Amino acid sequence: MTDEMVESLLKAPPFSKIDPSGFKRSLPLRDILKNDVRIIGFDEGDIIVRRGDWGNSAFFILSGNMRVELERKQTSLPDEILGRRTSRVKTFWESLTQLWHNNTEPEVREIAAVSSSKATFHSRNTHGGTRIYLQEVSAVLDKYRTARLEPGQWFGEVAALGRTSRVATVFSEGVSQLLEIRWQGIRDILRYDKEGSLKQYIEDVFRERALSAFLRTDPLFQACQPELMQRIVEQVEFHTFGNYDSHQPFKQLLEDQNHKTDGREPVIIREGDYPSGIVMIRSGLARISQRHYNGQRTIGYLSPGQIFGLDEIQAEVKGLTPVACNAQLSAIGHLNAVLVPTALVEEILVQNSQSKSSDSQKKKKNVRPTGSQSVKLNDDILLSQLVDRHYVQGTSLMVIDLDRCTRCDDCVRACATTHDNNPRFIRHGPILNQYMIPNSCLHCVDPICMIECPTGAIFRDLAQGDIIINEQTCIGCAQCASNCPFNAIRMVDIRDAKGALIVDSQTQAPLTQATKCDLCIDQRGGPACERACPHDALFRVDMHDATKVEEAFSP
Amino acid sequence: MRKILFQNRNTIAAFVIISLIIVASCNLFAITLSHTSFVTGTVLLICLLMLAGYQLRKKLSILLIGKTSAWLQFHIFLGLLTSVLFMLHIKMQIPDGLFEFVLFLNYLTVFFSGVAGWILSRRIPHRLLSRGEEVIFERIPLHRRNIHEKVKSLVRESNTSEKAAIPDFYEEHLRTFFEGPRNQLRHILHSERHRHELSQKITALKPFLNPQELAVLQQLTEQIQLKDDLDYQYVFQAIIKLWPFVHVPLTYSLIIFALYHTLAVCAFASTSG
Repeated sequence: MTDEMVESLLKAPPFSKIDPSGFKRSLPLRDILKNDVRIIGFDEGDIIVRRGDWGNSAFFILSGNMRVELERKQTSLPDEILGRRTSRVKTFWESLTQLWHNNTEPEVREIAAVSSSKATFHSRNTHGGTRIYLQEVSAVLDKYRTARLEPGQWFGEVAALGRTSRVATVFSEGVSQLLEIRWQGIRDILRYDKEGSLKQYIEDVFRERALSAFLRTDPLFQACQPELMQRIVEQVEFHTFGNYDSHQPFKQLLEDQNHKTDGREPVIIREGDYPSGIVMIRSGLARISQRHYNGQRTIGYLSPGQIFGLDEIQAEVKGLTPVACNAQLSAIGHLNAVLVPTALVEEILVQNSQSKSSDSQKKKKNVRPTGSQSVKLNDDILLSQLVDRHYVQGTSLMVIDLDRCTRCDDCVRACATTHDNNPRFIRHGPILNQYMIPNSCLHCVDPICMIECPTGAIFRDLAQGDIIINEQTCIGCAQCASNCPFNAIRMVDIRDAKGALIVDSQTQAPLTQATKCDLCIDQRGGPACERACPHDALFRVDMHDATKVEEAFSP
Repeated sequence: MRKILFQNRNTIAAFVIISLIIVASCNLFAITLSHTSFVTGTVLLICLLMLAGYQLRKKLSILLIGKTSAWLQFHIFLGLLTSVLFMLHIKMQIPDGLFEFVLFLNYLTVFFSGVAGWILSRRIPHRLLSRGEEVIFERIPLHRRNIHEKVKSLVRESNTSEKAAIPDFYEEHLRTFFEGPRNQLRHILHSERHRHELSQKITALKPFLNPQELAVLQQLTEQIQLKDDLDYQYVFQAIIKLWPFVHVPLTYSLIIFALYHTLAVCAFASTSG
């Protein structure tokens, strides 16, 4: 951004409404705009954000109109035209022919697939970058339900600040100009803006569009009367803890053999404090710990959608005296949470108990009787190690029980057969008790590998939740591989059908692409490694499913 | 699902019941004055082919034809069941013909190598976990070489005078130990005699060393421990990896012999009395 552009931005809303006097001298509003903001132009049909992508920036419309897709599931814009890989499960015959169709050389690609000549989506070089675009916008507008976003409106801010996925696809309707602001810029403006207009705007948008649906994901709120839910939505507080760049210190932490993290984690509720409400996690993970001699002992953790502090409020309602928390809650990395005030929780409990007494059998299924629904293990040391090493991020953590594993490597061979003769994991990794956590993708709940992918080639499959890489759009920039704290993404040289390296036509440098475990998304029956293990030693665990975690790590 | 086959009481009960049914059927069939050997032999051959099918399943890991663990459990179950069939087939007698005797021995070696493999696959993982760092088998020579290089550099550093104690000790007691895998049999038998012997030699050397040499000796002791653990990992990983190279070829030879035996029987013997 040039000084002239910054000047003109400061004269127009929304920045003209921000009081610059609240900002630090070392970090004035002018510098934030200069360093964290850019103006980008879009042509008709250019896709700005796609539903399901991770992004770390928000957008403000300067001129032109945007279209936001309103539909979900069946009637939404198809993955093919959005430049996504469509996951198709191989037929029995296709699986069988892999045995003799597989190339002897690893990582063989069809040139057509890499060069996108056969792709069903459209891309073009425009405004200094490669963009995927919708070819006939008018036809798209006729076929799919969309809403118009006009100049002066923001979008993408909730996903950028909350580190959650984009909830809708947005594309340009005609020629437009947007202001893109990195999350660091929004964070600084929110911190120093005395008026708090932007903060208020972001919170209002979330309250209006998503809060009610988010709260109703927990059984506690499902039977809530509309009037009470309305009051809850109005009074809920939003809190953010931890550093957004928490994965960077974590990468350094992995090199540190002591793995001491809990001392540096921001505390949400201290042990012995009286809870001012229940904390419900929006994004990120939280550690539950108890004082143990001169330190903290991990006794559980919370994932998105889980709540803390309900036990204490329930006990308070029963005993009519305040009950202090018997554990501490702290943020692991970056965490967004909502706090529902105690008075409202008490109202919900009273309302639920009344409806329970009127129709006890039916409601018993809906209202959780007690507990903060956290994931717990009998072995505190193992639990602590899983949390400290961030394995609790995994929605599909690969675990090998070394008490059963004969080191036959059938899992590695099965993986190689399924993936271009190149296994997508290494049977080596840290050993916690008798469990080895191999070097394989965890399919994290907070996939930081996706944050800075310039083409959106690495994405979460919306149907199954797996993180996969689209070979057609991966440009081999290695951003995902360098972001992954578990080093589970590997850059590989790709080859043509004859086994020769595919090279850039101009520089003659070999082309590389990112590869990782895709849970055999295109194979029948799921991960081949798991099915190939003769001793059931290799299994996968969703670390956010309390029952499965307990079952998996019970000796 | 994660339970091992014979930890399950139902499986043992099923094995006993099926075995009894086979024995009873054989006796009933014998009442008709038919040759039971023809029936037991045919069933045995089918069982052998099905057992060999497990190896094929391992190659077809990409197909949705059941988990390999389920196939293995069936393989063990059927393998044990063949012993009942085999005993009925040979009528509890050692065959007197040369070819039949070879076939008899072949079956026994396949059966017992299978049982041995079954026991090894249950015992060795636990032993591998109990000692030393987890190392991929193919990388063990590299780790061994690294340890040896480190030891050699320590010995070189301590070689300051003409009569250096540590280089002499290395030449006399440690060189062969670090050069390759050692004490395999002792590791298999869980004996630690070699370590005690080395430890005694080290203790005996200590009074003759200066402080710098003592520090080097301490580092050497650590490397001895690492190398010994690596040998331990090597020998057990080698056993579990090499075992199929005994069981699988013997199985193929058994199938070939059994097919020839079947052809010969069909050509020269009648099926009923």
